[in-house]
Amino acid sequence: MQALVIVVVWLALAVVARPAHGQEAEALRRELEQLRRQQEQYQKAIEALSERLKRLESQSAPVAAPPGGPAPGDDAPIAAPAPAPSAPTLTDLARPREPFALSGQRGGGQLLFDVGIAGDFVGTITQRNVDKAEAGTFAGRENRFFPREVELSLFGQVDPYARAEVRIEAGEEEPGSETDVSLAEATLTLLALPWGTQVKLGQMRTRFGYSNQIHEHDLPWIDRPNAFRNFLGEEGLSEKGFEVTVVPDLPFYLEGLVGVFDGDNDVAFGYGKLSQPLVTGRLRTFVELTDEHAVQLGVSGASGQTPDRLRSHLAAADVKYKFRPDGWQHPLLTVGAEGIYSVRRVEDELGEKTSRDRLGGYAYGEVQPWRRWAAGVRYDWSQFPVVPGREWAVEPYLTFWPSEFLRFRLAYKHTERSRREEFSDNGGSGRLVDELLFQASFILGAHPAHPF
Amino acid sequence: MTPIVRLSLGLLAAGIGLAGYAEGADKVRVVATIPDLKSLTEAVGGDLVEVESLTRGTQNIHEAEVRPSMMLKLRRADLLVENGADLDAWVEVAVQSANNAGIVRGGRGRVEISRGIPLLDVPSTRVDRSMGDVHPLGNPHFSLDPGLAPVITQNILGALVRVAPQHRADFERNRAAFLARVDEQMARWTKLMEPVKGAKVVVFHPVYVYLLTRFGLVQAGALEDRPGIPPSPQHLASVVRQMRAEGIKAILVEPWNDVKLANRVAEEAGARAYVMASAVGAVKGADNYLAAIDYNVTTLAKALRSP
Repeated sequence: MQALVIVVVWLALAVVARPAHGQEAEALRRELEQLRRQQEQYQKAIEALSERLKRLESQSAPVAAPPGGPAPGDDAPIAAPAPAPSAPTLTDLARPREPFALSGQRGGGQLLFDVGIAGDFVGTITQRNVDKAEAGTFAGRENRFFPREVELSLFGQVDPYARAEVRIEAGEEEPGSETDVSLAEATLTLLALPWGTQVKLGQMRTRFGYSNQIHEHDLPWIDRPNAFRNFLGEEGLSEKGFEVTVVPDLPFYLEGLVGVFDGDNDVAFGYGKLSQPLVTGRLRTFVELTDEHAVQLGVSGASGQTPDRLRSHLAAADVKYKFRPDGWQHPLLTVGAEGIYSVRRVEDELGEKTSRDRLGGYAYGEVQPWRRWAAGVRYDWSQFPVVPGREWAVEPYLTFWPSEFLRFRLAYKHTERSRREEFSDNGGSGRLVDELLFQASFILGAHPAHPF
Repeated sequence: MTPIVRLSLGLLAAGIGLAGYAEGADKVRVVATIPDLKSLTEAVGGDLVEVESLTRGTQNIHEAEVRPSMMLKLRRADLLVENGADLDAWVEVAVQSANNAGIVRGGRGRVEISRGIPLLDVPSTRVDRSMGDVHPLGNPHFSLDPGLAPVITQNILGALVRVAPQHRADFERNRAAFLARVDEQMARWTKLMEPVKGAKVVVFHPVYVYLLTRFGLVQAGALEDRPGIPPSPQHLASVVRQMRAEGIKAILVEPWNDVKLANRVAEEAGARAYVMASAVGAVKGADNYLAAIDYNVTTLAKALRSP
């Protein structure tokens, strides 16, 4: 009985399955036939276009015939001439279509955003007592060679109205085999706003001052200037929020900016809430004295709260001059300076609230007599934002670019601090610091052009 | 000078400046990324447009520095005319800071001239930076090929009509008149180049491939073995050997490139280096589109005819 049931089930399945197979085969035959018809149509279209192209090319127009390309009709959208297409095969036609192809038939880069990687490796050599005190330029990473910043950048147009930029960054924060990966920036810029305005929102390096907005690998020196490290921390003022810029329609260039941020930077602010936001502002102008001489001037301000709900204000001013002789592909001379002033409410040892106003800044000059070589020197002077005392440093450096995408830099930095108390961990001392700094940077893939 | 006099003079100067600024307000304000396109836009736009270029002819256009003054020009522009094919990709950075919604990518006030241009030197293999600063879309230096003037001016015309449709008839008339002048010159240039057809030249950077192809000349080699990267001594030695073996008489060099090096190589090879008008305004006498082509054609014809 059981055997009979099995046989009946098998027979039933066979009867049901055969028509299904038959139907599928029939459907495939129909699809194949349809594809063949499509292929014939494509073939005919290609032949017609080729014939038309030949006719146009054979016409004797003295000017209007560019090599291989006809002049398009009046005001008609001009399509690029098809690159001699070969007839698609049945396999090509049958291949599943993606919603959009990142490569393949449409060619690399179509509908794909720009992708780039910037790698920045630095090394330091310094005295043993500085190493012990962890008082070098890259605190805690003295006498090491390490990846400071390896940055993956993805950027492009979202739609006709907006642009997005995402930067993911990895780098060594502390000695060891571990490398931290973090979101360095993720921004959306609304481009199509009226009255010369633009809004950038997300996580970004704020446009406070000149050097703060520059990424580590793009800095004109190996390290950030001491004053900015002292007042804003090693990472600089990187915040979450938005910036509104306006470029009014004036006879001269003027850019105004207002930013509103959480205020997470724990060196200068740190309250981290929009209820008491960090507010920034910047005005930037540019004077082109002649085609060869140009000066950029900027003033910035920032105001927020510390975690103790005490006010902290920063003001900065910057100037940059470049001399690029006519026909040169690089500037011969670049000179710049930036100053920062901080007023901060703090609680002193007795628990009383008091104000600390502190100052810092730097100036640098760079000469680039050859396209691949540049030499410069930077002078830093800075007070410390809360504790008493000050430091100064001088840093001559040499830069070599084997190509636009590869750069090596060597620098010597001498730093002197007026007190040793804050720089004497582990029995070391960071009052006098001599360092040899080395940097190797590369760019893979896309990288936006550098502004002035 | 009293403070009141100083203040009055200052206000007067500002007033004059603003008056001059307002004067051009009724014209279509166009910004071109390179001087060649400025000249061609002026030819089509005539008195109805006010055109500024972001770069000068004496500059290496590949590596133009993005200056805030560019942003100022772009801020006011009704139309941005860009070359495209990656030659002037830097303009994107300036556009992003210019805060002008009309000229952002995809905007009606923006035109990429490489549309419809059949590019030469399109790489047929995988491209990466080991090949130097290679242009993956093809050679972008097409603007000074007179045979492409119809396509380029057509693209410019289309864009001008988009932003100022009321002037369509004027733009069309200007374009037709300009192309007639190009035709006239073309006949002369073709005659001038006829005797040197098939001659070989060496270039420093492949800027002239469209012009050479147009007049049947051959680019036999380049001093740069990889675009944008200074040539190695070994490569230069091989170029010298090639020039001697093939009897090549001319090296074409851009004013912004290493002219001294080109002269040295030419001397070694028993040839001569010629500074060409790599763009409008690159050399004296190449102040507009037709003059720049005329300069190049005359220079080439003389160079290749000389014994």
